[in-house]
Amino acid sequence: MTDSGFTVDVDQNQYLPEGGRDVSAVVTVTSGADVAIAAPGAGAGSAEIIIIDCSGSMDYPPTKMSQARAATAAAIDVVRDGVGFAVVAGTSTAWPVFPPDGSMAVASPASRAAAKQAVGALRANGGTAIGKWLGLARQIFAGYPAQLRHAILLTDGKNQHETPEQLVAELGQCEGVFSCDCRGVGTDWEVSELRTVSSALLGTVDIVPDPAGLAADFAAMMENAMGKQVADVSLRVWTPQTATLKFVKQVAPAVEDLTGRRTQLSPQAGDFPTGAWGPGESRDYHVGVEVAAAGLGQEMLAARISLVAGTEVLGQGLVRAIWTDDEALSTKINARVAHYTGQAELADAIQEGLEARKQGDEETATAKLGRAVALAHQSGNEDTAKLLAKVVDVVDVESGTVRLKKKVEDADEMALDTRSTKTVRVKK
Amino acid sequence: MTASPLDDGLMHDGNTGVTCPSCGNTTSTADSFCESCGTELAPPVSSADPPGYTAQCPVCSLDESAPSGPISAEGYCESCGRKVPSGRDHVELNLELLAGVTDRGLRHPRNEDAMALATTETPDGPVAVAVVCDGVSSSPNPEDASLTGAQAAVRMLLSSIRRGDDPDEASLAAVRQAHEAMAILGSPSRAPSATYVSVIVGADGVTICWLGDSRAYWLATESDSARLTKDDSLAEELVAQGEMTEAEAMASPQAHVITRWLGADVAAPQPHVARFEPPGRGVVLVCSDGLWNYQPDAAALAELALPEAFNDPTSAADALLKFALDAGGMDNITIVLVPVPLVRPAPLPRRTPP
Repeated sequence: MTDSGFTVDVDQNQYLPEGGRDVSAVVTVTSGADVAIAAPGAGAGSAEIIIIDCSGSMDYPPTKMSQARAATAAAIDVVRDGVGFAVVAGTSTAWPVFPPDGSMAVASPASRAAAKQAVGALRANGGTAIGKWLGLARQIFAGYPAQLRHAILLTDGKNQHETPEQLVAELGQCEGVFSCDCRGVGTDWEVSELRTVSSALLGTVDIVPDPAGLAADFAAMMENAMGKQVADVSLRVWTPQTATLKFVKQVAPAVEDLTGRRTQLSPQAGDFPTGAWGPGESRDYHVGVEVAAAGLGQEMLAARISLVAGTEVLGQGLVRAIWTDDEALSTKINARVAHYTGQAELADAIQEGLEARKQGDEETATAKLGRAVALAHQSGNEDTAKLLAKVVDVVDVESGTVRLKKKVEDADEMALDTRSTKTVRVKK
Repeated sequence: MTASPLDDGLMHDGNTGVTCPSCGNTTSTADSFCESCGTELAPPVSSADPPGYTAQCPVCSLDESAPSGPISAEGYCESCGRKVPSGRDHVELNLELLAGVTDRGLRHPRNEDAMALATTETPDGPVAVAVVCDGVSSSPNPEDASLTGAQAAVRMLLSSIRRGDDPDEASLAAVRQAHEAMAILGSPSRAPSATYVSVIVGADGVTICWLGDSRAYWLATESDSARLTKDDSLAEELVAQGEMTEAEAMASPQAHVITRWLGADVAAPQPHVARFEPPGRGVVLVCSDGLWNYQPDAAALAELALPEAFNDPTSAADALLKFALDAGGMDNITIVLVPVPLVRPAPLPRRTPP
C-alpha cells in the first residue's frame, strides 16, 4: 500500500517466444480502507441528482409511479448533510422538481423534507427524451462546485422523443462531468440504450422488474455513492513509441471497454477514466499491447500503468516483455489473463445470442448462448449461469449444448442482458 | 611494516611510498589514508555501475539523427521501452591480491548479484577481503539489496581489520552492517533481500561468514579441495538429514529455497562464522549459485581454476565464468578468487645491461 492508499498490481506472463509481439496483463487497482479526498468534512464536495421518468407509461400500472416516488424519497433520505442534491423530472422535456429554480440544494433535514414533498406531487404524463434529462442534470452540476458528481436515472421506456444521435451528442457533453447509475423499471425499456448511457457515464445498469424493489435499490445506490471519496481517477497508460495499445478494459466487477475513452497526453501516453473511488474497492483492468519484437534475452517495458487523480500519481505498475527461447516460460498461460479473456467472451456471447434470438436466428442464438453456458460453468460464474438457465434448457454444460426455451419471460431475458457484463474473479 | 607497496592504480614513488591521487604528495604505504589530505589510498571496489557510466538505450542511441531519449528510473528507454543495460551486467575487478567477475548470465534480465573487494596492509602482512551477495529474486529490488549490503560490509571489514579487530569479530560486525544497510531499503512486508558471504584472507588464515546459499571453496592441487560453507537451504537440510543425496537435492525444486538471508523481513540475522587454516598453497573461491549450480564439487572446480588462478586470478575467474555460461548461464554468476598465500605479482625482471 502506497502513501496514497492505492495499490496497482500487474499480473502477466512477461515471457514471449522469439518474434512474439502480443503482451497482455491484468492490472488490479485496490483502494485502502482510509482513502479520502484531501479536503476533510463529511460529504463536502459531493453532489447528487436523481432523475426520475415521469412519462405517461409510468402510470401503467400506477404502482410504477408511486414506487418511483417512494424510491426517490428513500434515496433522498440517504443523502448526507452538506451534500448538494437535486431532483429532475423527465418526459419529452425535463424540469427541476427540487429545488424548483434549477439550482442545487444543500442536504439538511429541512431540505430533504422539502424535496420529498416536491417529489410526492409528481404525476406521470408525457414522453421520453433521456438526452434532455441528462442535459438539465449537467447544467445543474455545472452551477455547483463539487468534486464528486453522481446521478441516478430511472426510466421505464424507450427513448422515443429524441433521436439516438441527440442522446449520443448529449452523452458526449456529460462525459467527465458526472457519473450515472441507470435503472430500468418494468420490461418496456431498451437494455442497449441504457447500457450506452451507463457506459458513457461510468455507472452501472440494471433491471428492476418489480416496482416494489425500487426503494431498496435506490437507497443502496445512494449509499454507495455517499461512500465515494476520490473523484476522477484515471489509468494513465504509457507505451513505447513502436508499440500499439490494443485495448484497455475494465474486467471486474464488470466488463467495460475503455479503449475508446482515451484522452491523449502525448503520442506515447493516454488517460482512461475509471470514475470515483471509495475505500476498500478493487477493480481489475485488462490491458493489451502489441510491441515491436526484440531479440532473445532482451527486455522491454511494454506499458507503464499509472493511477492518477489530477496531477497526483496514486500508484504505478509495469508491464514487461522478455523474449526467451525457453518454451516452458513463453507458453505458460497466465490464469487471470485467460480468465478475463473468457469473461469478456462470455458477455459478448450472451449479448450476441440474445440479439440473434430477437432477430429469429435460432441457430446462431443456440450456438452463442450454448457457448455462454459452457464459459459461465468453466469460470464459476454462477449468477450468470442461473440467468442463462432461464433462457435456455441446458443439455450438456461442459460442451455448452443447449436448446432455446420456447417461452421466456421478458424480465428474465433483460436481466440476462443487463447482467451479462458482470464478472467473477479468480484468485492469483 | 613489511610487504610490497600497494598498487591500486596509484603512482609508485620508489619503493617506500605512493603518490596520493588527490593531493599529489608522497605518503607512506603503511597508512591507509594519505598523510597530507586524508584521501583513502586503497579504497574498496564494488560491482556498482562504473564511475562515469551513463546508461544509453542500445537501440535509440544507434539513430544518429535523433538524440537518445531519457532513461526511466526503472532503467527503461522512455522512447522505445527497451531495457537499458546496466553497468552491473558485467563487471570485472582486479586488486592484484584477488580478482572477481560478476555477470548477468544468459537468462536473467539483470544482474542481481553484487561483489565488493578490498585489500589493506596490517602489521602482520597484507589482508584481502571479499563479499558476495546474491539478491533474492522474489523480493523487491534485490539488486539494490545485494549491492548495498556488499558495499556496507566491505567497508566495515576494512575498518575493523585496520583497527586490528579479530577476524571473527570483524566478520560479524560486517554482516550486521550489511543487514542494517539492506533493512533501511524496505520494510518487513516489502524487503529487498540477499544472501551473503564474506571472506577475510590474511595471516590468521581464512575467515568465512555467510547466510544463504552463496559459497566459499578451498581449491588446491597439493591438498584436498573443500567446500568451506554449508548452504542455508532446504536442499542442504534434506541432505544433512540423509533424506536426499546431493545430486537428488540439486535436481529437486527445493534446491534454491534458502532458509536464511538478509533484509528488512529478518529481525535478527543468524550468520555462520568459520575459520579455515590453509594447509598449503591454494585459492579461495567465493561464488554465487550461478556458478556452483553447474559444478558443486570442490575438486572439479579446482580442476577448472588451477593452476591459472595461482598467478592470474582474473583469467581464471573468466574461465570459470565461461564454464558457467557455456553450461547454460541460467542465473547471475559471481566469482571471486583469492590466491593463498597472498602475493603481489612480482615486478618485471630488471633488465640487465648486456
